[in-house]
Amino acid sequence: MSTIDSAPSVEDERARRTLVAARAQRERDRRLRYRDLTLSIAAPIVLVLLWEVSARMLIIDPRFFPAPTRILAAGIDMVRSGELWAHTAPTLVRLLLGGGLGAIAGIVMGLLMGSSRALNATLGPLFSALYPLPKIAIFPILLMIFGPTELPKIIAVFITTFFVMQIASVSGVWAIDRKLLEAGTAYGATGFDRFRFVVLPGAMPFVFSGLKTATGTAVVVVTAVEFTGASETGLGYLIWNSWQLFIPEKLYVGLLVIGIIGAVLTALLSRSEKLLLPWRRG
Amino acid sequence: MHPVDHATVVAEDVSKVFFSGGEPVWALEDFSLTVEPGSFTCIVGPSGCGKSTFLRILGGLEERTVGEVTMRGADHPVPAAFVFQEHGVFPWMTVQDNVSFGLRMTGTGARERREIAQDWLRRVRLEAFADSYPHQLSGGMRQRVAIARAFATGSPVLLMDEPLGALDAQTRMLMQEELIALWEAERKTVLMVTHDIDEAIILSDRVIVMSGRPGTVREDLAVPFERPRSFDIERSPEFGELRSRIWNLLREDVRAAEETS
Ligand SMILES: Nc1ncnc2c1ncn2[C@@H]1O[C@H](COP(=O)(O)OP(=O)(O)OP(=O)(O)O)[C@@H](O)[C@H]1O
Ligand SMILES: [Mg+2]
Repeated sequence: MSTIDSAPSVEDERARRTLVAARAQRERDRRLRYRDLTLSIAAPIVLVLLWEVSARMLIIDPRFFPAPTRILAAGIDMVRSGELWAHTAPTLVRLLLGGGLGAIAGIVMGLLMGSSRALNATLGPLFSALYPLPKIAIFPILLMIFGPTELPKIIAVFITTFFVMQIASVSGVWAIDRKLLEAGTAYGATGFDRFRFVVLPGAMPFVFSGLKTATGTAVVVVTAVEFTGASETGLGYLIWNSWQLFIPEKLYVGLLVIGIIGAVLTALLSRSEKLLLPWRRG
Repeated sequence: MHPVDHATVVAEDVSKVFFSGGEPVWALEDFSLTVEPGSFTCIVGPSGCGKSTFLRILGGLEERTVGEVTMRGADHPVPAAFVFQEHGVFPWMTVQDNVSFGLRMTGTGARERREIAQDWLRRVRLEAFADSYPHQLSGGMRQRVAIARAFATGSPVLLMDEPLGALDAQTRMLMQEELIALWEAERKTVLMVTHDIDEAIILSDRVIVMSGRPGTVREDLAVPFERPRSFDIERSPEFGELRSRIWNLLREDVRAAEETS
């Protein structure tokens, strides 16, 4: 009687203890996650506080490094007067229009080149030769052709993203496991079906990492283009002009907004990658 | 639901020459084989003798240099369904989409596709994983997905290149049992490459022993055991005899293959 009774209760006890241990483990994991989160938020705050204090105590030169509160105040003024938006909007348009169209064209071209041997033989060497050319160096030519309008700026961003995305997409197609391409063939996937079910999803991981690279490059190029005398709007112009007029607060506001645009775009891409490619590990 | 228009595979004097760095490599030389409809044939041979190459030629994944290949009676849009040496399931499709992929390519409607896929997932005991992605499965489960995909496509011929090669010994035995049961229920024409002599005898009606490179048919052996089969046949004297016969045929070539590689 006692043996029959005690056997399950011993097991129960053991199971209970295992669960307690598992819970403790999970609790520890959670604490570590909170700690990481706290550290990652606290570090920049501490840095900004340090900056503020040093600037006020004149440990660093406030002409070059104005206190964050003063930058913030300048930013609020610029928002009120509409000046900030007047510069942010053109930059966003150039970035999204030029970059968006460039990305689409680059992805389409890259996927086509990855799938068609003849097309790749025709255009591959040409694109490889053009790729290392600094796109910003083409800008004067564009200005010559189109004059100091919006078009050359948008085209400069377009070309930049186009090349990054073209190369990333070709590599994406080439990186597809041969066995998977063969599995497509073996199960009768030809033409558009092959593209839709095998080539496109297979190349997606490279396309997304290309998009992140392209975003960074496009932000650099749009800023650089706006630095030139050809622009009287945009965050790049704001930064450049603030330097020439020596208004460091405004310069930092421009820098901050450009940084935020880059970060938001990158974060959006990461999110959509998680949503669109649920099959990727981790 | 499953048509019984089984196919016969006929290969006549198929040769395949690869060029690796200017040197011709004879992977297959005058390889001829006729496969009976509804039979299970295994091909064994030393590594690098051209087994995969032959199967890939049959599956249309590789061009033959010379020779003739016919699939008689195969009017299915996918005449031969392929199971790859290491599964080859699409990581971007759910298990169910993977299994129904061949049907989708042949234009089967969505509902029928789902029904057939679910039926096959049940048969390979993966119905609970229909909406999972391959990376969430174990190696053995992924291999079952690959096998279900081949069967579900409804092709009269199945070409399997070491479908169980990447599995551990226990899983492999279980999968062999499952494969026997699936095949005995379906009676498709199966051509399977394996490294495992026991596996070849347990599964097939006929074992083709290939010579070392260039691959030719060294011996064509009938496997006499009754269907339905179980692992009990492993204990019979005929089994041991057959196994040592195959091993003797292979031994020299396997050693030669070891030395050249
Ligand atoms: N694409 C290729 N290019 C050049 N040589 C190849 C190619 N594919 C196969 N070979 C050669 O053809 C021969 C046969 O290869 P195959 O893959 O058919 O061998 P196998 O019998 O399947 O070997 P294993 O049992 O190891 O899988 C090998 O010597 C291999 O080096
Ligand atoms: Mg092989």
